[in-house]
Amino acid sequence: MRKLFKILFKVLLIGAGVYAALFAVFFFDLDGKALFYGVEPFLAKHYDKMARRDPLSKAYKTDTPNYEYKV
Amino acid sequence: MKKIDLNKIKNTDWKKAARDFWYGKPHGERRLGELYMPKTGLYKHREWRGVKDTFYYFHNIWLYNYAQMVMDIMKFGGPVTFAKGLWRYRWMGQTYLPVLHWFDRGLEGMRGEALRASAWHYRAMVCVTINQFMGMFKADANLHGGEHNDAWKHTIAHKETVWGGIFYPWQDQFTNIPMEMIPYFVTCHVNNHTVLNYIDAVQSIGLPGDPCPMCQAEAGLFVLDDMPDYAPFVVTTNEACDGSVASTAIQDWYLDIPLFAMPQPMQFDDPLVQEHCANEIRECWKFIEEQTGVPFDWEQLKKRLERQNELQRFEWEKWDVAANTSYYPINGVAQALYRIYQSQYGDHYIWHDVDKRVRKIMEKCVSQRIDTFPKTRHRVIAWSCAPLYFSNWCTWAYNCWGLNCVINMDSLMFDMTIRTDSLDDCVMDMAKYHEWAPMRRMAVGGMHHIFELWENMERFHCDMVMMYDQLQCKGMQGVHGLFEDEFRARNIHAIWMPHALPDKRTVSRSEIRTIINDYMTTVMQEEPLDPSLLDFDDSESW
Repeated sequence: MRKLFKILFKVLLIGAGVYAALFAVFFFDLDGKALFYGVEPFLAKHYDKMARRDPLSKAYKTDTPNYEYKV
Repeated sequence: MKKIDLNKIKNTDWKKAARDFWYGKPHGERRLGELYMPKTGLYKHREWRGVKDTFYYFHNIWLYNYAQMVMDIMKFGGPVTFAKGLWRYRWMGQTYLPVLHWFDRGLEGMRGEALRASAWHYRAMVCVTINQFMGMFKADANLHGGEHNDAWKHTIAHKETVWGGIFYPWQDQFTNIPMEMIPYFVTCHVNNHTVLNYIDAVQSIGLPGDPCPMCQAEAGLFVLDDMPDYAPFVVTTNEACDGSVASTAIQDWYLDIPLFAMPQPMQFDDPLVQEHCANEIRECWKFIEEQTGVPFDWEQLKKRLERQNELQRFEWEKWDVAANTSYYPINGVAQALYRIYQSQYGDHYIWHDVDKRVRKIMEKCVSQRIDTFPKTRHRVIAWSCAPLYFSNWCTWAYNCWGLNCVINMDSLMFDMTIRTDSLDDCVMDMAKYHEWAPMRRMAVGGMHHIFELWENMERFHCDMVMMYDQLQCKGMQGVHGLFEDEFRARNIHAIWMPHALPDKRTVSRSEIRTIINDYMTTVMQEEPLDPSLLDFDDSESW
């Protein structure tokens, strides 16, 4: 029984720690700061470097069907 | 190290400090502008709204929405599909990760029921957004080694200005996803950095800078090869105006798939055009039948339209409360974005879930006579097309000046239910609904419609107009002088808000705030409720 209480106490303690940490992230806008200074610049660099197809090299076809229907 | 000021501690009114901690500071003492970090718009710390509302925000908005986003991603395609899309598309990775900051900007200073109801609107928009981009990624041949999988074969692409209801007859077997709603439109509200890449891209191939920046950005997505290959055919339209036709030409070039153009008449009051417009929709259905091999399903259409009509009926109830009471619990930005999103995209289960929750909140406000925006000095109607990069101006204007934006033009567009008694009546109503699209019904639908402002001002008991001035909209620029004359003749307080729709570089948010500040101090001779919000630098903010 004592062991069970000990485990429960530990779980509660960890839960309280996680809750406090999450509240700190929320209150001090740490998610926003991490995304603004870390994630976004990293991803923007990645997208800037990405190899892309050149759509201008493709011919603009004008022989596609004209979809018209009698209704 | 900062010295502790003993005098300050001595002079502190502890009773008031305790009250401020428990209930939050009263409007006027909040100094919200001091929470911002310079330039970035990030918060030194998020706002303390009192114990109840701070923890509501923490549990029911911040934690809840992060959790729901994960759930939505799992539900609509899984983390692998999501990660692939995030790595491939700029508009995804750069825009949608900081979505909770979009909530923050829109909900600043909100308390009680206004905070709750407005946040639910944001939740719905996030869910539909995830639903759409995950639908794109699941079907996207770019993410699946060029393979056209089953999802690709069961997805219909269309321009964002084609109303989603056109595809209801196939919605039990096919998903319709607008091409630009998520890669362009919603991005501007959440993170306005992304869209600039697309505007610059299309100008880099020779487009002059002055056409509508919405169409520029929509075309730029294709120029930058940032559009998923997610459907075998596409439906386009000339909504909202002929700028859309021009962007379709570029999209058609790059997509190179069967395309059905479904133009709608601009001057739609002419009864002779209604039959024509209805036939365009019928032709579109023939095209879809031909492409999918699946016949038109009237029962599906009826079922979906009836669900959509339910949404419209609740919207009317909301307008009724907004127009005639001070108990309306939805702030200006939540009202505007939710309504335009819901009515343009069409039926989705989340709109119904959220409307149920909002109904509960609204009924509580009405029955208990809760004044949801108690610092309202002026009831404002916003007219014409809004700056997408500063859609939360109404939250700022309420906090700073007590300007309560009760309703806006885009909300009032699709002001109708659709008959489902017979197919003929139904198609005629669908034609009308489509003609009443955003930026079409009032902005380019003819003089009579753009001047619906006056009757709506009366209907919503507004005493001020926030007149959006989209500098690159040739249609609206053409009626600028007429509005000036009318405002003078009718003795209406109107603030012109210049902007370039998604492009914050033309008129910055700070310039917009300055224009409003100048009007409020010089013309209205009023003092700000929160002087810390008058002038701050958020030039690099999302």
